[in-house]
Amino acid sequence: MSSHEHHVIDLKYLLGAAAGLIILTILTVGASYVEIPRPFDLLTAMALAFGKATLVAAVFMGLIWDKKINTMALLFSLLFFFLMIGITLLDTLFRDRPFWIYN
Amino acid sequence: MANINATPGESHLAHHFVDSEQQFDSSKLGMWIFLVTEVLFFGGLFVAYIVYRSWNPELFYMSAKELSTIMGAINTVVLIGSSLTIALAVRAAQLNQQANISRYLIATILLACVFLVIKYFEYTSKFAVGILPGELYTYTGIDHPGAPIFFSIYYMMTGLHGIHVIIGIGLMVYLLVKTRQGSYNAAYFTPVEITALYWHLVDLIWIFLFPLLYLIE
Repeated sequence: MSSHEHHVIDLKYLLGAAAGLIILTILTVGASYVEIPRPFDLLTAMALAFGKATLVAAVFMGLIWDKKINTMALLFSLLFFFLMIGITLLDTLFRDRPFWIYN
Repeated sequence: MANINATPGESHLAHHFVDSEQQFDSSKLGMWIFLVTEVLFFGGLFVAYIVYRSWNPELFYMSAKELSTIMGAINTVVLIGSSLTIALAVRAAQLNQQANISRYLIATILLACVFLVIKYFEYTSKFAVGILPGELYTYTGIDHPGAPIFFSIYYMMTGLHGIHVIIGIGLMVYLLVKTRQGSYNAAYFTPVEITALYWHLVDLIWIFLFPLLYLIE
């Protein structure tokens, strides 16, 4: 039957990904206690977070073994997310003063 | 017209699909498209975070100190654990291990509840000192004219994430009931698979929320 084509993810990949995520979490917390000059502290934290996100998407969500169109969907969502950030910052970073909700 | 390719045990196959495989792939792509909208849904809040942090870097630094790194870190590990257990539930379904599907679903539900309990303690300890969203904010411990901004964003982001956790628990309870009825097996486990995708996304969002809200230097 066709359903036998479903990829069963090997246990070692699932456990390995979980272990990797725990290690990266420890590194993330550890890095926050190390004095890293701005903006490299934020960049370090985001690099570690993207590393973790890649592990979750690739292994837990099975994108490595999945149809490429699902990976495309995820990457396009990120592309448009970064566009949303970029176009918004083009405005907000260059204002004379912030827009205050509270005063 | 009856599907001439229909084989016994494929009662889940809708007539407009060629076979189980095509139906499964379509469901999965549909779920991924939904996850795209989820990324952009949370994306709006991340943009609000980025804009207000770029305007008030000191405020975000001072405010993040109020949050418990330990509790945030524990919750991160809890969600990673729950992602592992839901992935194991999918694997159990693919391998036709009925009892294990239930076990891993229960483990995932319990971990999700642990996450919410920790979040409850975090929220109530903040409420107690007047750290509330927007105009309800009365805390005086942060000396900054825009003091409520960080926590309004914090409550919106973690609140929306928390709602996703609660919805996830509901979905997994439904899966558990259906599993007990013997609805899922190696030939048909689509609901388990796409719920797992949803749950992994909830984990993914938290992976970014944790350093951005709790670990600002």
